[in-house]
Amino acid sequence: MEARTLVRRGVRSRGAAPAARGQVEQVLLFRVGESLYGIGIRGLWEVLSSEGITGLPTPRYQICTALAYRGRKLPLVRLGELFGVSADTLPPSTRVLLIQGRGRPLGLLVDAVLGVVDIDPQRIAPMPAMASMLSPSLFRGLIGKEGRVIILVSEDGLGGMAEVASFSEG
Amino acid sequence: MAPQTQGDRGAGGSGGPAQVVLFQLAGKSFAVELGQVEQIIDYREPTKTPRCPPHVEGVIEHRGRYLAVLNLRKRFGVAEPGPPHQAVLLVTAAGPDPRVGLVVDQVLRVLSLPSDGILTPPPRVFGIRAEYIRGVANAGGRPLVWLDVSKLLAAGEAITLLA
Repeated sequence: MEARTLVRRGVRSRGAAPAARGQVEQVLLFRVGESLYGIGIRGLWEVLSSEGITGLPTPRYQICTALAYRGRKLPLVRLGELFGVSADTLPPSTRVLLIQGRGRPLGLLVDAVLGVVDIDPQRIAPMPAMASMLSPSLFRGLIGKEGRVIILVSEDGLGGMAEVASFSEG
Repeated sequence: MAPQTQGDRGAGGSGGPAQVVLFQLAGKSFAVELGQVEQIIDYREPTKTPRCPPHVEGVIEHRGRYLAVLNLRKRFGVAEPGPPHQAVLLVTAAGPDPRVGLVVDQVLRVLSLPSDGILTPPPRVFGIRAEYIRGVANAGGRPLVWLDVSKLLAAGEAITLLA
Protein backbone atom coordinates (compact mmCIF):
# COMPACT_ATOMS: atom_id res chain seq x y z
CA MET A 1 0.00 0.00 0.00
CA GLU A 2 1.22 3.47 -0.88
CA ALA A 3 -0.08 6.30 1.21
CA ARG A 4 0.24 10.07 0.99
CA THR A 5 1.32 12.14 3.92
CA LEU A 6 -1.24 14.54 5.31
CA VAL A 7 0.52 15.57 8.46
CA ARG A 8 4.06 14.98 9.56
CA ARG A 9 5.56 15.88 12.83
CA GLY A 10 8.79 15.18 14.62
CA VAL A 11 8.67 12.73 17.46
CA ARG A 12 10.12 14.51 20.41
CA SER A 13 10.94 11.39 22.27
CA ARG A 14 10.19 7.98 20.88
CA GLY A 15 8.36 5.86 23.39
CA ALA A 16 8.28 8.83 25.71
CA ALA A 17 6.57 8.53 29.05
CA PRO A 18 3.17 10.20 29.40
CA ALA A 19 3.05 13.77 30.61
CA ALA A 20 4.15 14.35 34.16
CA ARG A 21 1.67 14.96 36.96
CA GLY A 22 -0.28 18.16 36.62
CA GLN A 23 0.61 18.56 32.96
CA VAL A 24 -1.75 18.60 30.04
CA GLU A 25 -1.27 15.93 27.43
CA GLN A 26 -2.35 16.23 23.82
CA VAL A 27 -4.24 13.34 22.33
CA LEU A 28 -5.19 12.70 18.71
CA LEU A 29 -8.83 11.67 18.48
CA PHE A 30 -9.92 9.15 15.90
CA ARG A 31 -12.92 6.99 15.17
CA VAL A 32 -13.12 3.25 14.63
CA GLY A 33 -16.65 1.98 14.11
CA GLU A 34 -18.98 4.05 16.28
CA SER A 35 -16.56 4.70 19.10
CA LEU A 36 -14.10 7.44 19.87
CA TYR A 37 -10.46 6.57 20.47
CA GLY A 38 -7.38 8.55 21.35
CA ILE A 39 -3.62 8.19 21.17
CA GLY A 40 -0.96 10.45 22.67
CA ILE A 41 0.62 12.60 19.98
CA ARG A 42 4.06 12.06 21.47
CA GLY A 43 4.22 8.69 19.80
CA LEU A 44 2.66 9.91 16.54
CA TRP A 45 4.86 10.42 13.48
CA GLU A 46 2.50 11.10 10.63
CA VAL A 47 -1.10 10.96 9.52
CA LEU A 48 -1.39 9.47 6.05
CA SER A 49 -4.29 9.88 3.66
CA SER A 50 -6.37 7.04 2.35
CA GLU A 51 -5.07 7.27 -1.22
CA GLY A 52 -4.07 3.85 -2.40
CA ILE A 53 -5.77 2.07 0.47
CA THR A 54 -8.75 1.04 -1.66
CA GLY A 55 -6.48 -0.92 -3.99
CA LEU A 56 -4.87 -2.76 -1.13
CA PRO A 57 -5.09 -6.53 -1.56
CA THR A 58 -5.97 -7.05 2.06
CA PRO A 59 -7.60 -10.28 3.02
CA ARG A 60 -10.45 -9.49 5.35
CA TYR A 61 -10.16 -10.81 8.87
CA GLN A 62 -6.42 -10.15 8.77
CA ILE A 63 -5.49 -7.82 11.60
CA CYS A 64 -1.96 -6.99 10.48
CA THR A 65 -0.97 -6.32 6.89
CA ALA A 66 1.78 -4.40 5.09
CA LEU A 67 2.16 -0.67 4.59
CA ALA A 68 4.56 0.65 1.95
CA TYR A 69 6.21 3.71 3.38
CA ARG A 70 9.21 5.48 1.89
CA GLY A 71 10.64 2.34 0.42
CA ARG A 72 10.03 0.32 3.57
CA LYS A 73 7.37 -2.17 4.44
CA LEU A 74 5.84 -1.55 7.83
CA PRO A 75 3.20 -3.45 9.79
CA LEU A 76 -0.25 -1.94 9.44
CA VAL A 77 -2.75 -2.82 12.17
CA ARG A 78 -6.34 -2.71 10.93
CA LEU A 79 -8.00 -1.46 14.10
CA GLY A 80 -11.50 -2.15 12.75
CA GLU A 81 -10.58 -5.80 12.37
CA LEU A 82 -8.86 -5.93 15.74
CA PHE A 83 -11.81 -4.28 17.45
CA GLY A 84 -14.42 -6.40 15.66
CA VAL A 85 -16.11 -3.55 13.78
CA SER A 86 -14.59 -3.78 10.31
CA ALA A 87 -16.65 -2.61 7.35
CA ASP A 88 -16.73 -4.10 3.85
CA THR A 89 -15.30 -0.96 2.31
CA LEU A 90 -12.96 1.72 3.58
CA PRO A 91 -14.66 5.11 3.91
CA PRO A 92 -13.02 8.14 2.24
CA SER A 93 -12.22 9.46 5.70
CA THR A 94 -9.92 6.48 6.35
CA ARG A 95 -6.48 7.44 7.62
CA VAL A 96 -3.29 5.73 8.64
CA LEU A 97 -1.62 6.87 11.86
CA LEU A 98 2.08 6.19 11.76
CA ILE A 99 3.25 5.65 15.30
CA GLN A 100 6.12 4.27 17.32
CA GLY A 101 5.27 1.32 19.51
CA ARG A 102 7.71 -0.81 21.43
CA GLY A 103 10.53 0.84 19.54
CA ARG A 104 9.23 0.00 16.10
CA PRO A 105 7.25 2.04 13.58
CA LEU A 106 3.83 0.77 12.65
CA GLY A 107 0.67 2.03 11.04
CA LEU A 108 -2.85 2.07 12.47
CA LEU A 109 -5.74 2.01 10.02
CA VAL A 110 -8.60 4.11 11.44
CA ASP A 111 -11.98 5.20 10.05
CA ALA A 112 -11.45 8.95 10.57
CA VAL A 113 -9.25 11.45 12.37
CA LEU A 114 -11.23 13.98 14.35
CA GLY A 115 -8.68 16.36 15.85
CA VAL A 116 -6.46 16.95 18.86
CA VAL A 117 -7.66 17.57 22.41
CA ASP A 118 -5.97 18.30 25.70
CA ILE A 119 -6.46 15.84 28.52
CA ASP A 120 -5.36 15.61 32.12
CA PRO A 121 -3.48 12.29 32.31
CA GLN A 122 -4.27 12.04 36.01
CA ARG A 123 -7.92 11.56 35.11
CA ILE A 124 -7.32 8.49 32.96
CA ALA A 125 -9.24 5.56 34.44
CA PRO A 126 -8.53 1.91 33.73
CA MET A 127 -10.68 0.08 31.20
CA PRO A 128 -13.15 -2.12 33.15
CA ALA A 129 -12.08 -5.75 32.90
CA MET A 130 -15.52 -6.85 31.73
CA ALA A 131 -15.68 -4.25 28.95
CA SER A 132 -13.44 -6.01 26.42
CA MET A 133 -12.10 -9.44 25.66
CA LEU A 134 -8.90 -7.94 24.24
CA SER A 135 -5.68 -7.75 26.22
CA PRO A 136 -5.73 -4.84 28.71
CA SER A 137 -2.21 -4.00 27.49
CA LEU A 138 -3.74 -2.54 24.31
CA PHE A 139 -5.39 0.27 26.25
CA ARG A 140 -4.12 3.10 28.43
CA GLY A 141 -7.61 3.56 29.78
CA LEU A 142 -10.66 5.76 29.50
CA ILE A 143 -11.19 9.47 29.87
CA GLY A 144 -14.25 11.67 29.56
CA LYS A 145 -14.25 14.77 27.37
CA GLU A 146 -17.30 16.96 26.82
CA GLY A 147 -19.69 14.20 27.78
CA ARG A 148 -18.06 11.59 25.59
CA VAL A 149 -15.94 8.65 26.62
CA ILE A 150 -12.58 8.36 24.84
CA ILE A 151 -10.86 4.98 24.73
CA LEU A 152 -7.13 5.60 24.86
CA VAL A 153 -5.04 3.02 23.04
CA SER A 154 -1.49 2.15 24.05
CA GLU A 155 1.10 2.50 21.32
CA ASP A 156 3.41 0.14 23.16
CA GLY A 157 0.60 -2.38 23.63
CA LEU A 158 -0.18 -2.30 19.92
CA GLY A 159 3.50 -2.48 19.00
CA GLY A 160 3.86 -5.50 21.26
CA MET A 161 1.09 -7.51 19.63
CA ALA A 162 2.24 -10.89 18.36
CA GLU A 163 1.02 -10.04 14.84
CA VAL A 164 3.21 -6.94 14.81
CA ALA A 165 6.20 -8.56 16.49
CA SER A 166 6.20 -11.37 13.94
CA PHE A 167 5.87 -9.00 10.98
CA SER A 168 8.71 -9.36 8.54
CA GLU A 169 9.90 -6.41 6.49
CA GLY A 170 11.27 -8.79 3.89
CA MET B 1 -42.17 -33.15 52.06
CA ALA B 2 -42.53 -29.40 52.52
CA PRO B 3 -40.25 -27.17 50.45
CA GLN B 4 -36.98 -26.40 52.17
CA THR B 5 -36.53 -22.74 53.04
CA GLN B 6 -33.39 -20.67 53.34
CA GLY B 7 -34.31 -20.28 57.00
CA ASP B 8 -34.25 -24.06 57.42
CA ARG B 9 -30.86 -24.33 55.74
CA GLY B 10 -29.35 -21.17 57.09
CA ALA B 11 -28.06 -20.31 53.63
CA GLY B 12 -29.76 -16.97 53.58
CA GLY B 13 -27.43 -15.53 56.17
CA SER B 14 -28.42 -14.51 59.69
CA GLY B 15 -31.97 -15.78 59.35
CA GLY B 16 -33.49 -12.30 59.33
CA PRO B 17 -35.42 -10.91 56.41
CA ALA B 18 -33.47 -10.31 53.23
CA GLN B 19 -33.63 -6.88 51.64
CA VAL B 20 -33.70 -7.17 47.86
CA VAL B 21 -34.31 -4.93 44.85
CA LEU B 22 -37.17 -6.32 42.80
CA PHE B 23 -37.10 -5.84 39.05
CA GLN B 24 -38.77 -7.06 35.89
CA LEU B 25 -37.04 -8.71 32.97
CA ALA B 26 -38.78 -10.22 29.98
CA GLY B 27 -42.03 -10.47 31.91
CA LYS B 28 -40.51 -12.24 34.91
CA SER B 29 -39.69 -11.05 38.42
CA PHE B 30 -36.11 -11.11 39.63
CA ALA B 31 -34.25 -9.68 42.57
CA VAL B 32 -30.73 -8.82 43.65
CA GLU B 33 -29.51 -8.20 47.15
CA LEU B 34 -30.08 -4.59 48.18
CA GLY B 35 -26.60 -4.37 49.72
CA GLN B 36 -25.09 -4.99 46.30
CA VAL B 37 -27.03 -2.21 44.61
CA GLU B 38 -25.21 1.08 44.93
CA GLN B 39 -27.61 3.14 42.86
CA ILE B 40 -30.30 2.90 40.20
CA ILE B 41 -29.99 5.19 37.19
CA ASP B 42 -31.81 5.69 33.91
CA TYR B 43 -30.45 3.83 30.93
CA ARG B 44 -28.29 5.81 28.56
CA GLU B 45 -26.45 4.62 25.50
CA PRO B 46 -23.03 3.27 26.50
CA THR B 47 -19.86 3.82 24.51
CA LYS B 48 -19.22 0.60 22.62
CA THR B 49 -15.97 -1.05 23.61
CA PRO B 50 -13.79 -3.16 21.31
CA ARG B 51 -14.45 -6.91 21.25
CA CYS B 52 -16.82 -6.80 24.18
CA PRO B 53 -18.62 -9.99 25.24
CA PRO B 54 -22.07 -10.37 23.61
CA HIS B 55 -23.96 -9.36 26.75
CA VAL B 56 -21.80 -6.27 27.36
CA GLU B 57 -23.06 -3.06 25.76
CA GLY B 58 -20.01 -0.92 26.50
CA VAL B 59 -19.00 1.57 29.16
CA ILE B 60 -20.53 4.65 30.75
CA GLU B 61 -19.10 7.38 32.92
CA HIS B 62 -20.93 7.91 36.16
CA ARG B 63 -19.69 10.51 38.63
CA GLY B 64 -16.17 10.33 37.28
CA ARG B 65 -16.04 6.55 37.34
CA TYR B 66 -16.22 4.24 34.35
CA LEU B 67 -18.13 1.02 34.44
CA ALA B 68 -19.02 -1.76 32.06
CA VAL B 69 -22.73 -2.00 31.22
CA LEU B 70 -24.15 -5.50 30.97
CA ASN B 71 -27.53 -6.29 29.49
CA LEU B 72 -29.30 -8.97 31.49
CA ARG B 73 -31.65 -9.77 28.59
CA LYS B 74 -28.64 -10.63 26.45
CA ARG B 75 -27.04 -12.58 29.31
CA PHE B 76 -30.21 -14.68 29.39
CA GLY B 77 -30.32 -15.08 25.61
CA VAL B 78 -33.50 -13.03 25.17
CA ALA B 79 -33.50 -11.84 21.56
CA GLU B 80 -36.25 -9.25 21.87
CA PRO B 81 -35.08 -5.77 22.88
CA GLY B 82 -36.20 -4.33 26.18
CA PRO B 83 -38.72 -1.53 26.72
CA PRO B 84 -37.80 2.04 25.74
CA HIS B 85 -37.04 3.26 29.24
CA GLN B 86 -34.86 0.66 30.88
CA ALA B 87 -33.06 1.05 34.18
CA VAL B 88 -29.48 0.36 35.16
CA LEU B 89 -28.60 -1.11 38.53
CA LEU B 90 -25.10 -0.16 39.66
CA VAL B 91 -24.10 -3.43 41.27
CA THR B 92 -20.99 -3.91 43.39
CA ALA B 93 -18.95 -7.05 44.03
CA ALA B 94 -20.18 -8.70 40.87
CA GLY B 95 -17.00 -9.67 39.07
CA PRO B 96 -13.48 -8.42 38.46
CA ASP B 97 -14.54 -4.77 38.44
CA PRO B 98 -15.56 -2.81 41.56
CA ARG B 99 -18.99 -2.18 40.07
CA VAL B 100 -20.92 -2.87 36.89
CA GLY B 101 -24.11 -1.51 35.38
CA LEU B 102 -26.84 -4.09 34.96
CA VAL B 103 -29.54 -3.22 32.42
CA VAL B 104 -33.02 -4.45 33.42
CA ASP B 105 -36.48 -3.72 32.03
CA GLN B 106 -37.93 -1.99 35.09
CA VAL B 107 -37.10 -1.64 38.75
CA LEU B 108 -40.22 -2.17 40.87
CA ARG B 109 -39.32 -1.67 44.53
CA VAL B 110 -37.26 -2.75 47.48
CA LEU B 111 -38.71 -5.82 49.09
CA SER B 112 -38.16 -7.47 52.44
CA LEU B 113 -38.20 -11.24 52.12
CA PRO B 114 -38.71 -13.13 55.38
CA SER B 115 -36.21 -15.96 55.62
CA ASP B 116 -38.96 -18.56 55.91
CA GLY B 117 -40.42 -17.27 52.65
CA ILE B 118 -37.26 -17.88 50.64
CA LEU B 119 -37.23 -21.34 49.14
CA THR B 120 -34.26 -23.32 47.98
CA PRO B 121 -34.47 -23.34 44.17
CA PRO B 122 -35.07 -26.49 42.16
CA PRO B 123 -32.23 -27.49 39.77
CA ARG B 124 -33.45 -24.98 37.19
CA VAL B 125 -35.83 -22.02 37.32
CA PHE B 126 -36.87 -20.53 33.96
CA GLY B 127 -33.88 -22.38 32.51
CA ILE B 128 -31.44 -20.77 34.96
CA ARG B 129 -29.38 -23.26 36.93
CA ALA B 130 -29.75 -23.18 40.70
CA GLU B 131 -26.07 -22.32 41.01
CA TYR B 132 -26.92 -18.76 39.92
CA ILE B 133 -29.94 -18.43 42.20
CA ARG B 134 -29.90 -17.55 45.89
CA GLY B 135 -33.52 -18.46 46.40
CA VAL B 136 -37.04 -18.27 45.07
CA ALA B 137 -40.00 -16.61 46.72
CA ASN B 138 -43.61 -15.74 46.13
CA ALA B 139 -44.17 -12.12 45.17
CA GLY B 140 -47.86 -11.39 44.90
CA GLY B 141 -48.68 -14.82 43.61
CA ARG B 142 -45.85 -14.85 41.07
CA PRO B 143 -42.47 -16.54 41.37
CA LEU B 144 -39.57 -14.28 42.27
CA VAL B 145 -36.04 -15.41 41.45
CA TRP B 146 -33.33 -13.99 43.71
CA LEU B 147 -30.21 -14.00 41.54
CA ASP B 148 -26.65 -14.55 42.65
CA VAL B 149 -25.35 -11.79 40.41
CA SER B 150 -21.70 -12.38 41.27
CA LYS B 151 -21.79 -15.99 40.09
CA LEU B 152 -24.03 -15.17 37.15
CA LEU B 153 -21.70 -12.54 35.73
CA ALA B 154 -18.49 -14.40 36.47
CA ALA B 155 -19.62 -17.54 34.64
CA GLY B 156 -19.17 -17.94 30.92
CA GLU B 157 -21.98 -20.45 30.60
CA ALA B 158 -24.66 -19.59 28.05
CA ILE B 159 -28.09 -19.29 29.65
CA THR B 160 -31.41 -19.29 27.84
CA LEU B 161 -34.36 -17.91 29.72
CA LEU B 162 -37.37 -20.16 29.33
CA ALA B 163 -41.03 -19.28 29.67
